[in-house]
Amino acid sequence: MTLQQFVLGACAFFVAFVFEHLPMPDLLSWLQPQWALLAVTLLVLNAPKVYGLWLAVPAGLMMDAEAGSLLGLHVITFSIHIFLVQLFIRRLDGFNLVQQMLMVLILALAHQLALFWVSQMMQAYPKPIDIWGPALTSMLVWPWVYAITQLTIRKLLS
Amino acid sequence: MPPFQGQRVLAICLFAAGLMWVDQNYTVFQSLRYVVGYVLYPAQQVSLLPSTITLWMEESTAARQQLMDENVQLRARNLVLEQKAQRLASLETENIELRELLSASEQIDDRVLVTSVTAVDPDPYSKQVLINKGGEDGVFLGQPVLDAFGLLGQVVDVLPHSSRVLMIADSNHAIPVQVNRNGVRAIAAGTGALDRIELIYVPNTADIQLGDLLVSSGLGGRYPKGYPVGVVAEVEHKSGAMFARVSATPSARLDRSRHLLLVFSQGSGQVPSEEIWRYKK
Repeated sequence: MTLQQFVLGACAFFVAFVFEHLPMPDLLSWLQPQWALLAVTLLVLNAPKVYGLWLAVPAGLMMDAEAGSLLGLHVITFSIHIFLVQLFIRRLDGFNLVQQMLMVLILALAHQLALFWVSQMMQAYPKPIDIWGPALTSMLVWPWVYAITQLTIRKLLS
Repeated sequence: MPPFQGQRVLAICLFAAGLMWVDQNYTVFQSLRYVVGYVLYPAQQVSLLPSTITLWMEESTAARQQLMDENVQLRARNLVLEQKAQRLASLETENIELRELLSASEQIDDRVLVTSVTAVDPDPYSKQVLINKGGEDGVFLGQPVLDAFGLLGQVVDVLPHSSRVLMIADSNHAIPVQVNRNGVRAIAAGTGALDRIELIYVPNTADIQLGDLLVSSGLGGRYPKGYPVGVVAEVEHKSGAMFARVSATPSARLDRSRHLLLVFSQGSGQVPSEEIWRYKK
């Protein structure tokens, strides 16, 4: 890993956690995109040689501290997510924007579903309909974060 | 994809599941959470920047007339409170004397720490708020939290400069209470709705009426005794049912209060020693 890649990764997580922590009105809190998940996706997608499965551990622990969940919950969901992204990485590269967005929707939904199952095991009775909001908004912000990442990388390489 | 990736995912998942199990049953990893809290601190401060700035702007640009009005109001209020405080002093000494008669050595005044709410947990499954005091300020796990009107909840997660407070309305929360009027004991459980808590396992014959004030009984050893928890809003006796359905409105303004009090009282926040509550064979 070069210093540049490390700094870029750290910046991505910094921005993601700033957005995660942003105070939201009650009504909108159901629709907060999964910023940390998007950051993980972008890093794995753009630097697959550098950011691999190990990223799930620090990112998951930070997300657990942020969300106040049991330590390790997001490590599990993030590691599964990274595995899926690595599985589809070739296809994601070749997809057009709409296909990419649908892929992000499916991945984000899978992540939400994993969280839902675990929180149900801990007897927190969530409603299954709630898992759709964050997944849908994650899909909607995907083109923007993807474009910003590509622009940043292009600018740095040129 | 690198080789053996599936096995690696499995290994990480098993490791994380172990971590979760340990985190749920023991407090060993509280320090790990604390360290991660330090890492997150800058990002959290930046995300609160807009609200901090607006607050600062509001404070520094308040109109003179507004300040003067407020001053007059506060002065009047201060007068009323001072008059009450005078009576309080005599009542307190009287109370101490009476307590001495009963040979009870209870602390009357709890030490408190003022804190303010920085964020409401966006997770819709839980009723939690974040406050701006943490381990560096002496906040501890299980510490009771009040607002100006009553008991609000307890600290469930301590980070260096912030903490997480579980409110009494959370569906995973329950607190031992008693009716102020006659001392009937009950357990008030959260429902997940901010304006309602429910008394569970209340016998149909229990003397609980509409409008009764519920105060904390201090029996669990976690909350201090005698703080208002709620007012009974609905009592329903169903013939044939084992228990009456009693629900109450929390006294604390769970959805409105910005400034909270962390209580450092003797005996609060300490779970009684294990030999007392552990079932012995």
